[in-house]
Amino acid sequence: MATRLQFENSCEVGVFSKLTNAYCLVAIGGSENFYSAFESELADVIPVVKTSISGTRIIGRLCAGNKNGLLVPHNTTDQELQHLRNSLPDQVVVQRIDEKLSALGNCIACNDHVALTHTDLDKETEEIITDVLGVEVFRQTIAGNILVGSYCAFSNRGGLVHPHTSVEDLDELSTLLQVPLVAGTINRGSEVIAAGMTVNDWTAFCGSDTTATELSVIESVFKLREAQPTAIVDEMRKSLIDSYV
Amino acid sequence: MPRKPTGHRRLLPVRPLTFSPFARSVARVATAYMVKHHMRDAMQQSPGDEFKKLKKVDRRSESSEDEEFHGVVQADFAFFDPKPDDFHGVKTLLQSYLDDKQWDLSGFVDLILEQTTVGTVVKLEDDEDNGVFSIITALNLGRYKDHKCFTELKEFLLNICPEKDKTGNLRSLLGDKAQDVGLLVSQRVVNLPPELLPHLYDALFDEISWATEDEPTEELRNSFRFKFYIVVSKIYKLKNANKKRSSSTDKDDALIYIKPEEEILHRLSMWSVLFPLQTQQVATHELKNYQLTGIVMAVKAEDISSFRQQLRTLINES
Repeated sequence: MATRLQFENSCEVGVFSKLTNAYCLVAIGGSENFYSAFESELADVIPVVKTSISGTRIIGRLCAGNKNGLLVPHNTTDQELQHLRNSLPDQVVVQRIDEKLSALGNCIACNDHVALTHTDLDKETEEIITDVLGVEVFRQTIAGNILVGSYCAFSNRGGLVHPHTSVEDLDELSTLLQVPLVAGTINRGSEVIAAGMTVNDWTAFCGSDTTATELSVIESVFKLREAQPTAIVDEMRKSLIDSYV
Repeated sequence: MPRKPTGHRRLLPVRPLTFSPFARSVARVATAYMVKHHMRDAMQQSPGDEFKKLKKVDRRSESSEDEEFHGVVQADFAFFDPKPDDFHGVKTLLQSYLDDKQWDLSGFVDLILEQTTVGTVVKLEDDEDNGVFSIITALNLGRYKDHKCFTELKEFLLNICPEKDKTGNLRSLLGDKAQDVGLLVSQRVVNLPPELLPHLYDALFDEISWATEDEPTEELRNSFRFKFYIVVSKIYKLKNANKKRSSSTDKDDALIYIKPEEEILHRLSMWSVLFPLQTQQVATHELKNYQLTGIVMAVKAEDISSFRQQLRTLINES
């Protein structure tokens, strides 16, 4: 199910949180409403961890991760890194990487099997992504934008991309990612999809400006209506080949 | 020729509100604009017109490339009626309007954009990004009193005012006198050239007077016959103002106004209340002795013509 919420009057939920199938990171400093919205959906299933990265609250845009690992930028402090390693499940590898493009959340979009990255990412970083996150990496652009992490959000079941993505691009990306994709908007017409929402295989959180139409598109493409968390967390089955555009 | 800085007021750091490359260039030239403005189009008759134009041309400019900054940036600002497309731009500008209170900001922005007869949005001509640089409008408190955003706004104002004697005034303006009160909302990017301000305020008050004649229903016409205006904003107040500082040689102003027109409004106001803010301000060197404070003030409608004149003088001489 998709939930609408706000972080301190801002509808950019994907900036202040990071949701995966194994854990959820939330920025500190927001009101308790923000944190409890995540807790009420996720508390029994996965840990919800409050953290900052490099002293900032924009954690969703600075880090990239999936159920296998979490990558944080070079300016993450040692305490933050230790806190993350302590709070996250043991099978999640937390790695700090030296990459000059430090807003990893803007440069990398990934699910548990595939990652799309910024075209100018270091070769070394790409190798680390493959090792730590256990994914296949593709350097791509989305509707001409190199910040792939900002303009698309995808899980193992579906994906939402920038509204101006052409049909050919949608086809190509859908084949690469092996999930159904839809071009759409979030938060009442905003094109920065990943900033406005955060999603995993059974739930999504969107900004409160998101219209009912946008929400129904999200629920249908990410297949959230019939999703049950335990079925997915217990047995991570390979995603079915299902490309419709 | 560059604008002469006028005292402490101009020491404020220039920080662009948006992140487009253009906004960054404009931030760099904030103190070096030269202006030639033309009078507003003589042909504009009624508030229903598409837009009013103010051409701002810099004769010395060279167009700057994306990141390289060689000289002065040329910008043509234009005044537009509010449109639903401006939602995101206006919402960004008004993000901290009520400090950090969680309220129906989207609803408030919707009301501003629906009121096309009174209200102006400043954008660049032919800008693909549709970036909003400034918003100015006046909303009748009585007309919108049933909307959730206005009840939350009233609640916020009544709760934060610490001085007991002023709350009576505020309560009456927000309560029984609400039909005659306009909430003056004016917000812009920090580095918007001040030469635009007299025109912006003239546009607003002219539209208000046209609306009292042109609106289709009697009720709407009356809703623009404002007797009072309320302004909610932020200023810098000298910390420890009462502490005796015998050693201080430089005279620090007790209050620094982020927007120059607010100094005039404050002088003309019937009453004003300062209230503490929860959000942290960014501490800069010049402002280390100052605390960002909220202010609510009420201005009589009769004083507006004097305000417009004083604003024109202030901007023209700086």
